[in-house]
Amino acid sequence: MVASNSEQDELMGLLIAVSREDRQAFQQLYKKISGRMFGLCLKLASQQELAEEALQDAFIQIWHRAAEYHSDRGAPLSWMMTIARYRTLDLMRSRKAKQTSGDSYLEHVEDQREGPLDVSLRSAGAAELTGCFNELSDVQRDSILLSYYRGFTHDEVSEALSSPIGTVKSWIRRGLMVLKRCLER
Amino acid sequence: MKKTPERIERLAAEYVLGSLHGLARKRFESWMMESAKVREEVWFWERKFGQLPGEVPGVTPPTSVWSSIERRLWPAESLVESPAGKAQSRASQRWFWPSWSILATAAALVMAVVLMQPAPQSSRAQFSGAIVQADTKDPLWLVSETGQGNLLKLRSVAASAAETGKDYELWIVPENGQPLSLGVIPVGGLHQVTLTDTARQALSQSRTLAISLEPVGGSPTGKPTGPILHVAQLYEL
Repeated sequence: MVASNSEQDELMGLLIAVSREDRQAFQQLYKKISGRMFGLCLKLASQQELAEEALQDAFIQIWHRAAEYHSDRGAPLSWMMTIARYRTLDLMRSRKAKQTSGDSYLEHVEDQREGPLDVSLRSAGAAELTGCFNELSDVQRDSILLSYYRGFTHDEVSEALSSPIGTVKSWIRRGLMVLKRCLER
Repeated sequence: MKKTPERIERLAAEYVLGSLHGLARKRFESWMMESAKVREEVWFWERKFGQLPGEVPGVTPPTSVWSSIERRLWPAESLVESPAGKAQSRASQRWFWPSWSILATAAALVMAVVLMQPAPQSSRAQFSGAIVQADTKDPLWLVSETGQGNLLKLRSVAASAAETGKDYELWIVPENGQPLSLGVIPVGGLHQVTLTDTARQALSQSRTLAISLEPVGGSPTGKPTGPILHVAQLYEL
């Protein structure tokens, strides 16, 4: 994880202050993490305007929900990133629902990528989840990371990996369970 | 659908991953509300997957994002605090803000509401809004723009007369620079102000009006001298 323990402590302090409606702390929090958060939103959405909207919404949620944070929800940074991620996915879904054809979206995403999966995504996942991603087959890992980082639906993963949707679903499900067993060890 | 441990485990993982969609996602969210076990399972995956974003390179968002956040959280006061990028250009207005920030709290006020009105004849967007006060049910004034001729109309609804020896003065608060006076406004009835092109343009950019309390006849200096009582954001219809 990029954030060190001392940074997590600092973020925790800011989050507590934000839960008491301390605006200065809120602005400081924004300065500290908005870049990383925006990077994530952009990576997911591949679209500047949507990413900006998601970032805005995420910080507004953080302002209102800071008091709901507790350590079971992960480190403060992870929690806030999760909020941003969900918000980005929500916006992506609602935009996609409005589109008559999902194809235009896929082409758009396709343009942003080198291949079915960035090399960086692979290594990122493998390095972080304490090696558990290594226990997955390539297709399991790729489909999970495509869902995670790109917000792909099963349909989109199936297209990106040129595989039937039923197969993709089972890669994801089984892959997640392998991960879980590994993470619980 | 029955909440078996296996199903919870699987759906929680897919929920956090983002691959659970539509109705299934909604149904799972209601499970989360009902069951601590389900929430814990979700948190497990949030914690684990929450480590991944650390690997994504950061990108500095445009400064407009922070301004929008401020505007959405504190609609009136976002005028007060300079967003990072605009600090310089707003320095000239500082005299205006301290008085506002102190008094706005005291006056406990200010929101703008959208008024539904028949579509205007003119193709140009028209402003509409209301000057409201938190403890008063009806708006103090309703603001609308007429179709032609840059006329801004203020209809007094629940506004009460200014204290003796004082008048209310209406201002356009531009995005940059000094507030533009639209003159003293009476309480009661309908008041019309003709906007100059400059004023119309400033208003179309900032969509912000303010009312200050001034000596009878209005500010002697051309700038607000008394407390800023209200700030209202207008909407384009």
